[in-house]
Amino acid sequence: MRLPRIHSLQARMVVFFVILLVSAQAVLVLLVNASGERIAKSRIAQELMVGERVFRRLIDQSNRRLGDAARILAADFGFRSAIATRDYGTILSVLGNHGDRIEANVVMLADLDRVLLADTLHPDRHSAVFPFPALIDAAQRERQATAIVLIDGKPYQVVVVPVLAPVPIAWVAMGFAIDDRVALDLQAVAGLQVSFLSQDKAGRWSLHASTLPAALRAELLTASGFAAGPDGPKFLELGGEAYEMLTPVLSDGRDGRVVAVLQRSLREGLEPFNRLRAILLALALISIGSSVVGSVLIARGISRPVNRLAAISRNIRDGDYSQRADVEGQDEIGDLAASFNHMLDGISTREAEILRLAYEDTLTALPNRAMFHDRLRQAVLTARRTGEPVSVMMLDLDRFKVVNDSLGHAAGDQVLREVASRLRGLLRDSDTVARLGGDEFAILLPTGTPERVTMVAQRILRVLEAPIVLEGQPVDIGGSLGVASFPLHDDDSDMLLRHADVAMYEAKRGNTGFAIYDPRYEEGRQTHLSLLGELRRAVENDELSLYYQPKIDLKTGAIRRVEALVRWIHPTRGFVPPIEFIPFAEQTGYIKRVTAWVVERAVQQAGIWHRDGLDIAISVNISTRDLMSNELVEWVTDLLARHAVPAEQLCLEITESGFMEDPARALETLGRLHGLGLRLSVDDFGTGYSSLVYLKKLPVQELKIDRSFVMNMVDDEDDATIVRSTIELGHNMGLEVVAEGVEDLAALEFLRRLDCDQVQGYYISKPLPTAQFEAWLEARRQAERTEATTPA
Amino acid sequence: MRAAGWSLPVLALLTAPALAGKLSVTVTDSAGAPIPEAVVYAMPLSGRMPSTAPRAAVIDQINKEFVPFVVPVQIGAAVTFPNKDNIRHHVYSFSPAKIFDLKLYSGVPAKPVIMEKAGPVALGCNIHDWMVGYVYVVESPWFTKTAKSGTASLDLTDGEYDIRTWHPWQHADVPATRVKVNGAEVRVSFRIDLNPPPKVTAH
Repeated sequence: MRLPRIHSLQARMVVFFVILLVSAQAVLVLLVNASGERIAKSRIAQELMVGERVFRRLIDQSNRRLGDAARILAADFGFRSAIATRDYGTILSVLGNHGDRIEANVVMLADLDRVLLADTLHPDRHSAVFPFPALIDAAQRERQATAIVLIDGKPYQVVVVPVLAPVPIAWVAMGFAIDDRVALDLQAVAGLQVSFLSQDKAGRWSLHASTLPAALRAELLTASGFAAGPDGPKFLELGGEAYEMLTPVLSDGRDGRVVAVLQRSLREGLEPFNRLRAILLALALISIGSSVVGSVLIARGISRPVNRLAAISRNIRDGDYSQRADVEGQDEIGDLAASFNHMLDGISTREAEILRLAYEDTLTALPNRAMFHDRLRQAVLTARRTGEPVSVMMLDLDRFKVVNDSLGHAAGDQVLREVASRLRGLLRDSDTVARLGGDEFAILLPTGTPERVTMVAQRILRVLEAPIVLEGQPVDIGGSLGVASFPLHDDDSDMLLRHADVAMYEAKRGNTGFAIYDPRYEEGRQTHLSLLGELRRAVENDELSLYYQPKIDLKTGAIRRVEALVRWIHPTRGFVPPIEFIPFAEQTGYIKRVTAWVVERAVQQAGIWHRDGLDIAISVNISTRDLMSNELVEWVTDLLARHAVPAEQLCLEITESGFMEDPARALETLGRLHGLGLRLSVDDFGTGYSSLVYLKKLPVQELKIDRSFVMNMVDDEDDATIVRSTIELGHNMGLEVVAEGVEDLAALEFLRRLDCDQVQGYYISKPLPTAQFEAWLEARRQAERTEATTPA
Repeated sequence: MRAAGWSLPVLALLTAPALAGKLSVTVTDSAGAPIPEAVVYAMPLSGRMPSTAPRAAVIDQINKEFVPFVVPVQIGAAVTFPNKDNIRHHVYSFSPAKIFDLKLYSGVPAKPVIMEKAGPVALGCNIHDWMVGYVYVVESPWFTKTAKSGTASLDLTDGEYDIRTWHPWQHADVPATRVKVNGAEVRVSFRIDLNPPPKVTAH
């Protein structure tokens, strides 16, 4: 058993009860001790006094008995006859003879004149005066008289009666020696130690009879101070034992006095009390012992379940929910245990829910990225042992972003759920399909032989070809798959996933449906990795810069507008194309920081040019997210004011999809920006699904035709039609039309014929850093002036 | 016997030439109450007394008592103790004047007891401790005892006498009163203290 700590509940309870009980018992024992001893002592004193009364009564009775006997004897006719003879010898012999009959030790005869006629003790002494005249006086009155007297220094009970014939003719005295037998008889009745002592006239004490053992008699005699002192019990120590004693004086006569010593042993007197005390002490010890046992049991009954609960709660802390508290009994401990179990259930249920949320994608109920990583890691670990191949697939939906942008999130969610359900339907239970985020899915094939992988990939692609019906409209989604296998491509689970990702991008780029990883894909893709961190650093370290691509006014040939384009010159990788970080930044939300940087830098540049007298407006692309921001308008206002830039010098280019998500809000923001006097432009016009109704409502001044139409329009009739229609549409709505992607003179001339307002493209100039752009601009103006002065 | 008792004064009267006088005695206690049963007798100073035979006396035992209680007799008198009860008695005396005992008997004992010495003879019964009686033996022929009235009288010849009285319960000897009888009546009174013994119940 573990030793209980002194702080433990159990120890405290035990200590409390034991102290309580010990105190109570101690008080009781002390009380009994104090009052018990007092009571016992007073009882002893009482006994002693009762004993004395009994003793005196016994002496009286003995006297009377002896007197009666003596009277009967004295009335004996023979006795009287003998006395009447007046013959001394006859008288002496009859005294001896009749004295023997009642066991008298001494018999005396006196005549009516109180002259001693005979004395059995001193046969030679007669004609003396009778020694106890007072007894004769008393006998005259009472017919008999008795007393304890000293004869030759020894105590006798003496009885005096007349000899009647029939009137008194003489007095006879009979003496009975007081010896040990007498003392023993008295002790038997009175219950006291009885001793008879005498003190002669010289003050010497002698002891004559006693119930005490011989050794104590001598000691009693030497301790004879008892004669003095007050009446009532006195204390005496004899033979190492304590006594209470009384010393009644039995006679005080001519020759001295006789004293009885009555003793009661304190030890004997206290014995019942001591026995009681011993019983009480034993009871106290027993009750203390049993209370210790009892309180230990009760305390353990409390502390053991509590300790168990504590142990279980430690298990819970360590994540072990397997143990439950034993619910024993109806008491508070039982209630506590039951509550404890409820708490345990609650915790484990909530933890299961948290785990589920942590490892499950709530939208599709598929495993999430974290769980997929886990399973992949497990599969790889298992595969390392078994040597079985493991394959990972990354799936990205081709047209999900379009659906999401044009039909809203709800539609997007429906697409994701439908895709999840289709994928799960065609995979084995041992395979894992997870949604990693966005429209990105991953599939783990733990037994992925190359044949099966190819087969599964084709089946997935086929299943995704079937259109998904959204709001009654069939929508083609399609997807691109990348595959990487263990141990063929890598033996690390994270690397496998990245390889599959790379392969997926490759498939998407090549529009091949699916691709199996090839190390060559890595070239040029490497940069995509860990972009976010680096992009963040780039913004902070000013690794980004703005390039400016000029737009030519086809009517005047003047350069009054430029589009600011962000460029990232990585310290080690060199130039990073925007397509590699802008979409990524849009996905992660970091685009806001990038946009802020771009706008601020552009406004700053516009301010510089404005001060330098250059009339050049700068266009900046802003993202959908920027348009949804509440602070955009205030922030832009503040920026323009800070750099003293007129509002019309800044143009914001927005993609169609930018305002399709929440048109009302986008319209509101755009309206306020327009109110500021800013120029607004719709970028990439023609690629989205934007409605002309919205276009009509938008407070924009400009349309930008997407480069994909412009680049092929010279050869492609359809594209040419689109470009022409767009220009006409724009003009009809009072908007300026800008064409980008102009790469040769034919395109420029074509657009001029279509009455396009402005053009932009490599044919005019590629995007240039500030200094080069300024140089280019200066050179061009120089040329114009030359042209003007020397016409061609 | 009784006839003889009666004849004696007559004889004296007849024979004595001398004149005679009457002695009247009254015995009372210190309170003046009369004391009966007190023996009264006269001792002549001359010492001369008529040599007449002492009169015999009878003490009955009736109902476990000696009757009479006190009987004065002259030395030499024979006293008989007729038992009138239907039980036996054992009459005794340990008095120095006469020690005797009449063992258990009924009726009249064969022999009377002769009182040879002057003095009180206390009578007892060995069976009945409470029975007490007295014979008072005097030397003088002139004796009597007081009646209930405490008075007694004696006819004495002229001359000088010591008049004495005795009662069983008396404390001490009563001093004699000396008188001179000369034809006339002489009155003597005694005042004595009595110490009556405690009454003992008869069985």
